[in-house]
Amino acid sequence: MRFQDAARDGRAVVYAAIQADPLVARAAELLSQATLGERILARAVMNGESTDSHRWRRIFPSVFSSASAERAVDILAVSLAVADRGEQVRSQVRGAIVEELTARLLARRASPASIRRERRILFDGVPAEIHPYDVTVEVAGAGEAFDCKWGARGINADVLHQLDDARTHALDEEEPLKVAIVVFDAERSCRVRLDAQTAPHAQTRLVALEQLDTLAGPRQ
Amino acid sequence: MAGPTIGALLESAVAAEDALAELGETIEDEWSYVNDLRQAWTDRLDEVAAGPMGAREATPEIVEAIELAIEEASLVHDPHRAIDWLSTLPQVVLLAAESLA
Repeated sequence: MRFQDAARDGRAVVYAAIQADPLVARAAELLSQATLGERILARAVMNGESTDSHRWRRIFPSVFSSASAERAVDILAVSLAVADRGEQVRSQVRGAIVEELTARLLARRASPASIRRERRILFDGVPAEIHPYDVTVEVAGAGEAFDCKWGARGINADVLHQLDDARTHALDEEEPLKVAIVVFDAERSCRVRLDAQTAPHAQTRLVALEQLDTLAGPRQ
Repeated sequence: MAGPTIGALLESAVAAEDALAELGETIEDEWSYVNDLRQAWTDRLDEVAAGPMGAREATPEIVEAIELAIEEASLVHDPHRAIDWLSTLPQVVLLAAESLA
């Protein structure tokens, strides 16, 4: 098993620009420290129609009266900046934020050099997947691959097959590879989506909104 | 005059979920998911409404929070965004309700 950079095709070039947007890094940094309530705030605002900050503060009174209210103000501001983008860009930025957030949380327990983005995983005699993995942890004998989604609706058969295929091919090569799907949405919604999937996912870990901080904990 | 109970506010959220589902299910490929999602969340809202918290009177701050969240959901006219809100609205409403505890 070996990891490789994804091809620099047109999609990759466009998406790299989105990933490099300072707004993505700012949002991911704030969300990496956020409480669950603050993450729900970010999800609502980035999904929302209103761009009036006062209105959002009234929708989340407990978040803005907590000890971390100052951070909540910053999260609201960055979320409104995302919401202010056009629909297509907003969607791309949200996806990039989940990836960057995942990488930052993983960096609390893995060497930053081992955490890579947009990588393919190659196995002997197996055709390479076209789509790269969003985030990988590349440690000999303890590799990990993560696919990141903004919402539960992003969970689909292709993603589940790709993750499980990588895991099983790695096992064939006696290289344990942990695979997970990280979703910036409630576990309840993710379970509803997963329950309807026939693609193999029993060995794919779900990291939903409520469990994001476990990414910083021991490898699971 | 007493304000509404948490249970009454959650009933309004259930109605808002129904409206979002009606919009979301116009995406034919997602009909089953939308209805399963609606069921999962309305079950949860009903469960909280029927529990000890449901009978408690909401503070004016919580009434406003939940009413504004429902109003925000009603602004959604795009079916794709409605599916996102079908999951988001109950999280927001429950966060507000649970702050009473």
